[in-house]
Amino acid sequence: MKSNSPIAYPSLAQRLFSVWYRHMRVYTKNLASNGLPPFLEPLLFLLGVGLGLGKRILGPMDGMPYIDFLGTGLLVTAAMFTAAYECTFGTFIRMEFEKVYDGMLAAPITVNNLIVGEILWAGTKGLFFTFAVLCVLIAFGIIHLPQGLLAPLVGFLTGMMFATLSLWVTSFVKTINHFNFYLTGVISPMFFFSGVVFPVTDLPQKIRFVAEIMPLTHAVRLSRAVCTSNYRPALLASLAYIAIFTTIMGIFAIRRLRRRLVS
Amino acid sequence: MKVISVRNISKSFGRVCAVCDLSFEVEEGACFGLLGPNGAGKTTMMKMLYGRSRRETRDGGSIGVFGYDPARDELAIKYVSGVVPQENNLDDELNVFNNLVIYSKFYGLSGAVAKERIRTLLEFLELSEKAQGRIRELSGGMQRRLVIARALLNNPRLLILDEPTTGLDPQVRHLIWDKLRQLRAQGTTILLTTHYMEEAFQICDTVLIMDKGRKVLEDNPRALLRENIEAYVLEVPIVNGAPAILEAGLPAGIRLDRAEGILRFYAQDIDRLKSVVERLSGTQYYIRQSTLEDVFLKATGRALNEKQ
Repeated sequence: MKSNSPIAYPSLAQRLFSVWYRHMRVYTKNLASNGLPPFLEPLLFLLGVGLGLGKRILGPMDGMPYIDFLGTGLLVTAAMFTAAYECTFGTFIRMEFEKVYDGMLAAPITVNNLIVGEILWAGTKGLFFTFAVLCVLIAFGIIHLPQGLLAPLVGFLTGMMFATLSLWVTSFVKTINHFNFYLTGVISPMFFFSGVVFPVTDLPQKIRFVAEIMPLTHAVRLSRAVCTSNYRPALLASLAYIAIFTTIMGIFAIRRLRRRLVS
Repeated sequence: MKVISVRNISKSFGRVCAVCDLSFEVEEGACFGLLGPNGAGKTTMMKMLYGRSRRETRDGGSIGVFGYDPARDELAIKYVSGVVPQENNLDDELNVFNNLVIYSKFYGLSGAVAKERIRTLLEFLELSEKAQGRIRELSGGMQRRLVIARALLNNPRLLILDEPTTGLDPQVRHLIWDKLRQLRAQGTTILLTTHYMEEAFQICDTVLIMDKGRKVLEDNPRALLRENIEAYVLEVPIVNGAPAILEAGLPAGIRLDRAEGILRFYAQDIDRLKSVVERLSGTQYYIRQSTLEDVFLKATGRALNEKQ
């Protein structure tokens, strides 16, 4: 009874691209409202620090002026925040309210393709948000080209890493308000304790290991390294951390969301 | 050729049996309707055909769509099938045309081919004038037609529709039925779920009546009417207690069905019902031909289930 010719559905790459393409088209539809804030936010942040706080912090941090220290950290926190929002609120709304996935999963893609597509898209947003911060840092004279050109790539990896974590969290959430626990309880603390606003070496010895466990710490290390061209073997550990975290958390997220999407 | 063959399929959610030991087949080019109240298991059955829901493997059973098993080859099935989900899930951010463009990518259609195809489909579903329109400005009927257009992007050999016309006005319903008939005439196999008897009667070659996950009846709609229900119905509302006729006993060849607030007398011969009318002494009444709805109510019983 099987048809004579096998059905030639699109390749894996095409399927992932089509998910990515859908999100890209929807996101770029409101280019002004979606594309401007990523530039404005670091601008305001650095203005505030540069005009005020920075003047009171006189000593260098990790061997760089405070505004440079902070700026190179903001490169990846921007990617973290956008991926975290995209894969919590964004994913939940697509899944439960707009029923977007009901339509997409009727097209020839699998749940795995859909989730990996989400992760790639969040990575892309991370890349774009990091790029926006990079532009501001260059304008402020904090980063001197060609240094930092690799930063958006770090943003891409950061975006993907936080996408997997956020999707995994989303797989548990029944009510949209529950995301507040994750965003306030997990993501915001990471901003403060992962070496963005002060070096992790300043943390009390007993809790320093916590910073080493946090994914953002490793993203920040990579970001500072590419901004200062300060490459050292220890960075490979951070790169490996990001790769392993993304893979394992990605598998967890896919498994749990598959159970939710395929009854 | 059988496009769909379902054998002894079951699916439970917790202790509730959503689909129980269901079997049916759909011939190529036919329009097949799954008919039943909410919670009958129609949508679950439909979702199992394209891998959105998993059948139970415990008791055996098999599903074949174009010979493919959705548990293994969902991509092949979805590539040659179009699905219209129960809810319109269009992308509000994009206009009508671009809603279809993003879905053309899922089928790997190239830009030029996709554009041509989208134009044809918008024309077919009478949406050409709205091509650049915003989704929020479309009426419910237009949105529904756009979702149908989306399902047709890859020229599907099988079109699966979950309650295609629920909540739409009569004009739009007739328009959609007309389009579905045209598609079937072009050789597209259609499977739809509905709880409108009228819909099943209008467009389906075969109707499978489901209740509580089980098959109750399956046949051509006209045959269902002919073989499962008397030809005519006399409806008498109960206003001030039951009419006297009930105490006197019913003439032969008449079946009475008592419901809340209404009595229904069924008979093969309309003259027998007229003889009942003569004895009603002035009470309001209405004689009509039986419909699939009468078959449905007779087959599934009147009690509402907890999902209704």
